Amino acid sequence: MELYISIAIQILITVISVVGVFVLTGMTGMFSLGQAAFMAIGAYVSGILVVNLGFPFPAACALAVIFTVFIGFIVGFPTVRLRRDYISLVTLGFGEAINALLNRAAAITGGAAGFSGIPPKTTLTLTVISTIAAIAVVWKFKTSKYGRQCIAIKSDELAAKSMGINVARIKMIAFLLSVAVTAYAGCLYAFFTTYVDPSVFGWKKSADWVIMVFFGGVGSLTGAVFSAAFLTGLPEFLRFLAEYRSIFYAVVVLLVINFKPAGIFGEWELTMHNLQEFKIKAIKAIKTIKKLKNKN
Amino acid sequence: MSLLEVKNIYKSFGGVQAIIDFSLQANPGQIQGIIGPNGAGKTTIFNVISGIYTADKGSVFLDGKETTNLEQYKITREGIGRTFQNIRLFKGLNVLENVMCAFDPQSKYSIAGGLLPTPKRKFEEKRGREICRHFLEITGLSEYEKEQPSNLPYGLQRRLEIARALTCQPKVLLLDEPAAGLNPTEVSELTSLIRKLSKEIGFAILLIEHRLDLVMNISQIIHVQNFGKTIAVGAPDEVRNNKDVIEAYLGKDN
Repeated sequence: MELYISIAIQILITVISVVGVFVLTGMTGMFSLGQAAFMAIGAYVSGILVVNLGFPFPAACALAVIFTVFIGFIVGFPTVRLRRDYISLVTLGFGEAINALLNRAAAITGGAAGFSGIPPKTTLTLTVISTIAAIAVVWKFKTSKYGRQCIAIKSDELAAKSMGINVARIKMIAFLLSVAVTAYAGCLYAFFTTYVDPSVFGWKKSADWVIMVFFGGVGSLTGAVFSAAFLTGLPEFLRFLAEYRSIFYAVVVLLVINFKPAGIFGEWELTMHNLQEFKIKAIKAIKTIKKLKNKN
Repeated sequence: MSLLEVKNIYKSFGGVQAIIDFSLQANPGQIQGIIGPNGAGKTTIFNVISGIYTADKGSVFLDGKETTNLEQYKITREGIGRTFQNIRLFKGLNVLENVMCAFDPQSKYSIAGGLLPTPKRKFEEKRGREICRHFLEITGLSEYEKEQPSNLPYGLQRRLEIARALTCQPKVLLLDEPAAGLNPTEVSELTSLIRKLSKEIGFAILLIEHRLDLVMNISQIIHVQNFGKTIAVGAPDEVRNNKDVIEAYLGKDN
């Protein structure tokens, strides 16, 4: 039971991070290869605040998120004006810099040996509630004027500007929301594992998250949530395959990207309206099949 | 002073002079056509007015305010709406949402409303939908609200571009080849739509068009461009009989 709860918490924390990445990559079309660094900042800052300075857990989380958003603003300010491909380069450099910093500043962060002694505060209930809240907030964002403008920018930046959209501002808002969500996932992570070290927050993690967004569907929050849960859960349930599971993982991703380039869900979202439509289509299909059977 | 004043603009790309000394004045309710062969610099003129390019020389005034070197989105907010020659609708948004994107910069709710269902957000979203539906109705797109733009026939996509430009609440409307690829029925519908817009809403409309019949039919003033230069300006009849224009379009009689 312990093991399953632990797996569930891990999966949900990844879901929260990927929901954050979705705002950036899925909605706005920006690729960040340094997103895991924001998770690291969230994790370390909240951890240090509680362990070294005696802050209560909720206040530490709030402060950590605010601090990370502030760092995000400094990184984002020159970055959002760049072309999309340069954004990945800048964030990649930033991510690796943060990693090096965490390794070097051993006096505060524990260096490569990691930072330990964080009290276990992340329960399954807290993680479930956080996940639902993160999804709800991002869903509200996607359907707001900000979300629409993000999608417009992703589709055609020039036309977006011609509609009066302040592209740099909207990109910044999307970037900061994404940073905030990922930083919060970092807080949960730190108080779940009770121990953080720099090696888990490398660019590979950021790249994993981007893959998850693509796998689920380039414009679908439903897809991002599904694929984060599926692709994080998959290796756990494939433990019997030992080292071969990464091959299996790669094959699954390759198959989807090859045969369904827009991702599993494409732009489809799980809403009451879309479910209803799906139901109507399904009923129609069943009726046609029945008719064909009767004819034969 | 006129609503839109373009004063002696120049623009070159490398060695190519795309616009040489172009000037124009436009007033509300007026339709002006810009015609000329391919590569005459027509779209470049639109791109300079709407801020996609900055002019090398010259200035643009809108409603008495200089917009020459403003950022593109600010120029739109000052009151310039445009459509594109090669349709540039937003993928991933349906017809209504495409139009809403042009309203969103005018929508007045804050980030809090972007993340939570605040009353202000509800109110502004409703106001936006009403305005957008109004423009969809004017352009005859009401029944396609929920469609993806890529599923619409070409003629309707062109209309959607116009609806989106209208939602920017412009004072000057720039239409870049709105009739390209349309069949004769669609062209005549478009003609009456443009007339209606100019008459009822009172925009100043600038129109780039290849179909001479359409331009001659609805414009009060026509600018003829060739190799970046204006070779004739005037009423349709004057322009039609101008020697230089005939030469540019039909070639010189040797």
